[in-house]
Amino acid sequence: MPAVIVILAVVFGSLNPNFWSGTNMANVSRQMSILALLSLGQTFAILSGGIDLSVGSLLALVSVVCAQQMLNFGLVEGITAGILAGGLAGLINGLVIAKARVPAFIATLGMLVAARGVALTLSGGLPIAGLPREFLVLGAGYLGPFPIPTMLAVAGFVLAHVILSRTRFGRYVYAMGSNEEAAVLSGINVARHKMMVYVVSGLFAGVAGVVLTARVISGQPTLGEVQELYSIAAVVIGGSRITGGVGGIGRTLMGVLVLGILGNGLNLVQVSSYVQNIVIGIIIVGAVYVDLARERRQ
Amino acid sequence: MKRLDRRCGALISLAAVVMLGCGRGTQPSNEVAPGTAAAPSAETGATTAPVTEYARPPKPSRQYRIGIAVPHLSNPHYVGQAYGYLDEAQNLGAQVTLLEAGGYQYLDKQVSQIEDLVASKVDAIILAAVSGPGTVGAVQDAVAAGIPVINVNVMTDSDKVVTRIRSDDDVIGRMHADFMGERLNGAGSIVMLRGAPGTSWAEIRGNAFKKRLAEKFPNIKILGEQYSQSTPADGLRLMEDFLQTYPEINGVYNGADTTAIGAAQAILAAGKQGKTVITATDFQVDTEKFIREGVISASVLQQTVTMGRWGVRAAINYLEKRPVPPVLLTAQELATKENVNGLNLENVRAPAGWTPPAR
Repeated sequence: MPAVIVILAVVFGSLNPNFWSGTNMANVSRQMSILALLSLGQTFAILSGGIDLSVGSLLALVSVVCAQQMLNFGLVEGITAGILAGGLAGLINGLVIAKARVPAFIATLGMLVAARGVALTLSGGLPIAGLPREFLVLGAGYLGPFPIPTMLAVAGFVLAHVILSRTRFGRYVYAMGSNEEAAVLSGINVARHKMMVYVVSGLFAGVAGVVLTARVISGQPTLGEVQELYSIAAVVIGGSRITGGVGGIGRTLMGVLVLGILGNGLNLVQVSSYVQNIVIGIIIVGAVYVDLARERRQ
Repeated sequence: MKRLDRRCGALISLAAVVMLGCGRGTQPSNEVAPGTAAAPSAETGATTAPVTEYARPPKPSRQYRIGIAVPHLSNPHYVGQAYGYLDEAQNLGAQVTLLEAGGYQYLDKQVSQIEDLVASKVDAIILAAVSGPGTVGAVQDAVAAGIPVINVNVMTDSDKVVTRIRSDDDVIGRMHADFMGERLNGAGSIVMLRGAPGTSWAEIRGNAFKKRLAEKFPNIKILGEQYSQSTPADGLRLMEDFLQTYPEINGVYNGADTTAIGAAQAILAAGKQGKTVITATDFQVDTEKFIREGVISASVLQQTVTMGRWGVRAAINYLEKRPVPPVLLTAQELATKENVNGLNLENVRAPAGWTPPAR
């Protein structure tokens, strides 16, 4: 996968020299940051043997809650409320999956529909404008040469990697995903940790939603359509197993880079967005096929 | 692990507390002014004498690269506009990159497209915004990078644009109201399909319609109004539901003809054609057909091709350091069954069979 990324970058760079410009690198990394944050949460869900279909709609819910609370109470309160709204939606997902034992696919599918409905209800279907201009910094500002959304995504990668590889919770995530029965028998509190998985995913969606709200400097109830599918695509293109147990944050990073560079590069070399969809579709299936083929050989 | 769990618990209770807080914040949703309404309508008040002619400038010495972002190209309205952009760019020797977001709901995509245009260092950007408030940041970034932004048709709330080129949406709303009021003889029960939330056209037209109706025809009751992503499917679904709720409906306002086409199908299915006044905006082929059949009663034609042409002209003028007026209003005209044969559609639609380059 790293080889693919290098090839993509070299090809796009030779077709349009602007691809390598500092502004475009900042640009592409900033565009990827939302997908990156969503995909981090999705990685937890998929590694644990589940899936989180709700993350796209959560962007809309978080955006609306964040904007409304920001208008009511202020900047920090709005940001906090947005992130926690994501976490709370994740907690509901977790409760339904772990306690009520509804399959993750169904539980989060329900949340996908319902969260969009809550976003539309809270906002009356209209965008929420008039947010403080300082908030724009979170979406468009820079830390040195690096866009702030990019830095947040990088911080998210480090944090997620540490949780998955260095904590007991992280190891339990893999254990549940490889063999849930074995995890139960070895004394892991599967229900509790499953719940935590979806809270983590919701919180990442919360951060992503707040950053996206800052990028569009308004609360938007229509944000994030089909983003959940792209986040799943990023995880599996990276090489994590869709049924769980195998994979990691590094692979998700690869998947996000492939999707992000592909989207931006194809725009820069003026490939039709219709054709772009065809390319991305083929890459999703192709990447998983290559991984499976390699596994079978071993 | 214990510690982590405890932290998780704390987090959960915090989340619950905040959600309770959110509950308090729910009710003012409709009071939060969608900034779109404020910015462009204030500016309409300023333009007492709209510029209705905007001549083609001389062909510039160099080939300019212009990036254009529109909401989508599945509505003939934007296809007409795209024709205007591309044909005029050809006249003026400019190279055009035309991008569509794929629908009013894909704000994130349009923002990325604007950023990509900035990164590929086009000379100017022409923007028909999917959302007024949502595009402020992206427009600011483009202007900060030294790329002028020409705003066409659907307004961004950013005040950094070179010029705003659009129909007079206030006038369009009033034309709807006058036609509706006269056709209903001043009394009736109507519903509104406003269009895409957060767009200048849905806001300004709808508000002007309501204001005029209240002033001139106080006996016409508005039973309900709905926003949607403004596709025929949305119009059909919303109208079917309205007919279930209010069987007495005898008028339907449509901010765009996309929803009018769907609404007309719902009216046909209910057998209420001819008994329900349907007003629309724009003039795609299906709208014309429904007007000829008397299902859609009237439509306000916008000069979509002209909008596109003027957008490119304004961009070239600005790049050639010529002054550009801050607002350019294109003309509009009412089409009914009576005048449908005499309309000049040259600036209303793309030539039959023309399709935009796939983007």
